Amino acid sequence: MGLKSLRRIEATKGWSISVVYFIYTAIFWGYPFVWLFILALSKWNFLTPRKFIWFNNFVKMFQDELFWRVVLNTFNFMLYYIPMVLGLSLLFAVALTKIKFFKTFFVLAFLVANVSSGVAYSIIFERLFAINGPLNKFIYTLTGKTIPWFSEPQLAILSIAMMVTWKFIGYYGLILFSGLNSIPKSLYEAAELDGATGWKKFWKITLPLLNPSIVMVLVLAISLVFGIFTEPYLITGGGPMKRTFTFQMMVYTTAFQKLDPGYASTLAIVAALMSFGCVILTRKLIEKEVEYA
Amino acid sequence: MKRALFVVLIMLFVFSAFGKEIVFWTAPNPLQESFWKELVKQWNEENPDIQINWSTIPAAGSSEEAILTSIASGRSPDICTNIFSGFAAQLIEADQLVPLETLPGYWELIEQREMKQIVEGWKFNGHYFVFPIYSNPMLMWWRGDLLQELGYDSPPRTYSEIYEISEKYSVPNEKFGMQVILGRNWWDRWFDFINYYYAASGGNSYLDLERARATFNNEHGKSITEFFYKMFRNNWTAVDLGNYPLYNGVVLGGIRGPWEINWAKEQFPDVFDDIVISPPPVPDYYPDEDPVYTFADTKGLVILKSCKYKEEAWEFLKWVYSNEENDLRWVTMTNLPPARGDLSTNEMFTDYMAENDFFAQYASFVPYAVPPALTTKTVDIQDAMTDHLIEPLMYDRAGPEEALNDIVRRIRTILF
Repeated sequence: MGLKSLRRIEATKGWSISVVYFIYTAIFWGYPFVWLFILALSKWNFLTPRKFIWFNNFVKMFQDELFWRVVLNTFNFMLYYIPMVLGLSLLFAVALTKIKFFKTFFVLAFLVANVSSGVAYSIIFERLFAINGPLNKFIYTLTGKTIPWFSEPQLAILSIAMMVTWKFIGYYGLILFSGLNSIPKSLYEAAELDGATGWKKFWKITLPLLNPSIVMVLVLAISLVFGIFTEPYLITGGGPMKRTFTFQMMVYTTAFQKLDPGYASTLAIVAALMSFGCVILTRKLIEKEVEYA
Repeated sequence: MKRALFVVLIMLFVFSAFGKEIVFWTAPNPLQESFWKELVKQWNEENPDIQINWSTIPAAGSSEEAILTSIASGRSPDICTNIFSGFAAQLIEADQLVPLETLPGYWELIEQREMKQIVEGWKFNGHYFVFPIYSNPMLMWWRGDLLQELGYDSPPRTYSEIYEISEKYSVPNEKFGMQVILGRNWWDRWFDFINYYYAASGGNSYLDLERARATFNNEHGKSITEFFYKMFRNNWTAVDLGNYPLYNGVVLGGIRGPWEINWAKEQFPDVFDDIVISPPPVPDYYPDEDPVYTFADTKGLVILKSCKYKEEAWEFLKWVYSNEENDLRWVTMTNLPPARGDLSTNEMFTDYMAENDFFAQYASFVPYAVPPALTTKTVDIQDAMTDHLIEPLMYDRAGPEEALNDIVRRIRTILF
């Protein structure tokens, strides 16, 4: 068998294996992706013929006060969510390194939140945080006051940030835990010999060497902020005063309730670009080369 | 065995060559499913040449989403139920629906069911594209036991009467006179502001679609916004009333639809017996002797233009809706008042009404229940009502007049 025919056989094998993936990607990724851009440049209501309107949807978006409200909401949410989820996940990861028994049980207990149905836990939280729910009843017996978790604009954002934090502590905590495990013990031993205290070790060794895991958690958390839908949709309906109205809610209501898929596609593209922008910025500001040696 | 198989094959061939199939989608609701399942089976047995292919609207984010997807992909049903006014308007504007009055026997059926007044609310550009199938008047539920403790034998009728009982009952952060606002979703405006407007104005529309403007910047609109404002500022109602406020005694009353009857009977049997029903509250100037109008949470069915056998589809619908027994079966199975003007007077329903007092009260309001305006901008308008009328009044970001002027101006922009 000649070299040429051997190459041909190899190429055929390669193509026959990868063609399934190519076809899958073309249908489920390529086609919707191209269609998204076509829609963003069109005016359509699903029913009547589509009209090409160039960048009118983008112009409309920048003049839309609701769009700017959603941008502000997204950053407002980020302000609560990122520090909260990062801090608590780190705490969970550190706690895992200290636990000697039932480690798997604790990990699984926290991961249950991550695999729970968004609809189910949203309903539970809504009942739990209600003005006459168990949490407020407890607070009332202690202080004589109740907290309007979902009816005061800023508190509503915080409450939803708390719910989403609860869901992701286990998942992000595990990423940070694996990061902690990869830090060589010898570095701590050397630091101890030099007289370093617990805090000093954490600031000077743990945190810098955990940088890749922290960056990964931050990237995941930022992307998530731009994709939140279930919790505000079910609990607050985007209110009060539109403070919990998110990009995904706006995309959904614009496309399927206001029958404007063109404008919805424009919003989806801009949300994706903003999300990428935030991720790139975070990596530029925080990401560091880490060497354990 | 072989012979039987042969006969089946021949029947299949004959049916595929000459039979007519009509695709029929109904609301994904277990009670309505049971109703349609039986009826379709009966029709299909009696009419082998016109077969109804029945299923519920496919699972999606909403019925509208599923129907839109089906139309966009060219696989729409021939008949579809669960159509609300705003969506109907969108389908009509996109030229997707059959004007039903062009089909034989339409007016006879409307007359037989005494639906003339009901279908007027669904008229669009002089045509009737939707056949309303049920009409849920939205009424007030009051805690009769708590009202009696306060010294009242009947529920309040006017805003002033509500202020009076609220002042007596309310305890800040604990108990409130009434649940005034139902929620923040766009559809909640049907049940609160629009409902109160129908009650205050004697059933007038809140939109003038021909002149592209809101009509409620008048004494009725002003009384309603002042009512909202006063209730919130005096802590006689609250933004968050917690879980089941009516049944927990957090409020004395609130607007409810007939779908809550069975649920409340099961979940709160002790409280349910003390519930008293009344029409929505009205301003003090509303005449005592006039009937109080209310909002009709109503849905209808449509025949899509893509249907190949329109007359056959209409035949099926006539067969269903010309038989009063089917209406009785509908009522018994779903507890939703069928859209017909003779519910309170037709003998067919007398026994059921006698046994179901709550349902009878709802049924008596069907003639005064007004459907929402037929506009394609329903979601935009009612979202704007939430953001620029209801929430500013709730959170004291605007006074009644300021909020009213603002929303009227915004609706003008949306409709123009």
